[in-house]
Amino acid sequence: MIEIAVELPLAPFELRVAVRLGDGVTAIMGPSGSGKTSLLEAVAGLRPRARGRIALDGIVLLDTQSGVRLRPERRRVGYVPQGAGLFPHLTVMGNVRFAARGAGSRVRAAIESLELAPLLDRYPATLSGGEQQRVALARSLASDPRLLLLDEPLAALDVGLRERIVPYLRRVHDEWKVPVLYVTHNVGEALDLAEAVLLLRTGTVEAHGPALDLLSRPAMARAAEAGIENLRHGRIVAHDDQGGTTRVQLDDGQALAVPLSSSRLPGEAVNLAIRAEDVLLAVEPLRGLSARNIIEARIVTLDRVGPDALLRCRAASASGSEPRPWLVRITPSAVDSLGLVSGQRVWLAIKSHSVRLL
Amino acid sequence: MLTAADLAVVAFTLRIAALGTVLIIGPGIAVALALARYRGPGKSILETLLSLPLVLPPTAVGMLLLSVLARRGLLGRWLDAAGIQVVFTWKAVLLATMVMAFPLLVRSARTAFEEVDPRLDGLARTLGCGPTAAFFRVTLPLAWRGIVGGTVLAFARALGEFGATVMIAGNIPGRTQTLALAIFQASQVGRDDRATTLAGVTVLIAFMTLWTAEWLTRRRNRRVAT
Repeated sequence: MIEIAVELPLAPFELRVAVRLGDGVTAIMGPSGSGKTSLLEAVAGLRPRARGRIALDGIVLLDTQSGVRLRPERRRVGYVPQGAGLFPHLTVMGNVRFAARGAGSRVRAAIESLELAPLLDRYPATLSGGEQQRVALARSLASDPRLLLLDEPLAALDVGLRERIVPYLRRVHDEWKVPVLYVTHNVGEALDLAEAVLLLRTGTVEAHGPALDLLSRPAMARAAEAGIENLRHGRIVAHDDQGGTTRVQLDDGQALAVPLSSSRLPGEAVNLAIRAEDVLLAVEPLRGLSARNIIEARIVTLDRVGPDALLRCRAASASGSEPRPWLVRITPSAVDSLGLVSGQRVWLAIKSHSVRLL
Repeated sequence: MLTAADLAVVAFTLRIAALGTVLIIGPGIAVALALARYRGPGKSILETLLSLPLVLPPTAVGMLLLSVLARRGLLGRWLDAAGIQVVFTWKAVLLATMVMAFPLLVRSARTAFEEVDPRLDGLARTLGCGPTAAFFRVTLPLAWRGIVGGTVLAFARALGEFGATVMIAGNIPGRTQTLALAIFQASQVGRDDRATTLAGVTVLIAFMTLWTAEWLTRRRNRRVAT
């Protein structure tokens, strides 16, 4: 049982979170800049301005009222930041056994569990993104944590690699019995890995509940949007073995090519997820592009979300009374240089490999 | 060829430069780290003050030191009462080289510390390291290259210090005369051959210093990069 009741002033708002989390995997979701990373850092003890109470199975890490503030090195909370944060001057072995409290047997078990034996003498700069994540996980586990904090461990990886890391993450929780708080933008990952979801918005808890319930309720649309994720429901049309794709028809009539998924039968219902930052946007019709899916659309709204611009676009071909908009996340400088305004005609391109079948 | 007196000058210069450099390494690293981490008012004033000896004429620095250390000066009064003679002794040479070399060391060490990802320090803490252990196991090794570079620059500066030294230590053969001062004196009295020989020795020492630094940092580099 993890009790968190913290307040932490951040630049544009204040983080205020009061929740009790179970011992499983909890996915922390929400838009960029909603305080997810700050929450993890407060739990790890890296935010000296955090106030309130944090307790792990009754062990108090922070209680400002009674003047308890355990230093990070006394908390036994493992933290894997975005980009893994390996020590570049140490080998894989040096990183894994870095922890002051890492007993030899734990170090060996962590190396075995994350299959690092062939990498032990390498330096982090020579590792792939997925390997770095595995090393960072092993380093945390070797320190014998009571809680593991993972900040978007898969975000920097491409789709194929993500799928190779997920089993390791699952193993971490199953074998090591460590509760995990897991920041992600990806609804698919959350459904894959987490029992519970904590949804943050501008520093406060918007929703908290079992992952399946929360992400499949009608409120899922909002939840998904919070994660800046395009979620669609559709049906399998046909498989193209030669082309390596499966055709799906969405409820609004739009056809999409997705990575070949022969195990699903034509006619079967599927849920699809596409990250808003994986959608490319053009102001002219696209030709000669490798992306299999090009959707003609019109910009409905254009907002600033955290450091990014979030566009809602309506597909020209969409049928139905209120078709779901396509969410596109791009940089404000792209908005400026393309001169994007609402109402403008645009073409959205989606690689089939950017589409996740849930 | 080098006479016994020449060799004594070389040995004295190396000893002073080495001792001065060693003495400023600790404080220099501390000040550099403080400057790299401190984000508050007065930061830029502090940085400017610390870099001042780099741009002032060394004789001006020497003059300031002299006025502080003179028998009636701010510090000189105390030292005099304690029976410690600094001005025109080897201690003055040491002090002048330290003051002139310190900013060079601090500048490169500070840049090196600023380039270390501050998150790594926090991560080391979550892995059970106290603040001191985190510094020695993560921040310091990662800033190593800049610190070595700064130390070498400081040592080279100490070897060649002239202006401040001549102001507070004079140019007393056998007592306060370093290579730089000896070259100047030899050329002043028309002993160009001796001046040239000593200049050659200086070049040799400087070359070996820089080359050693290059070798040290490159060795380190290779380990991290591949």
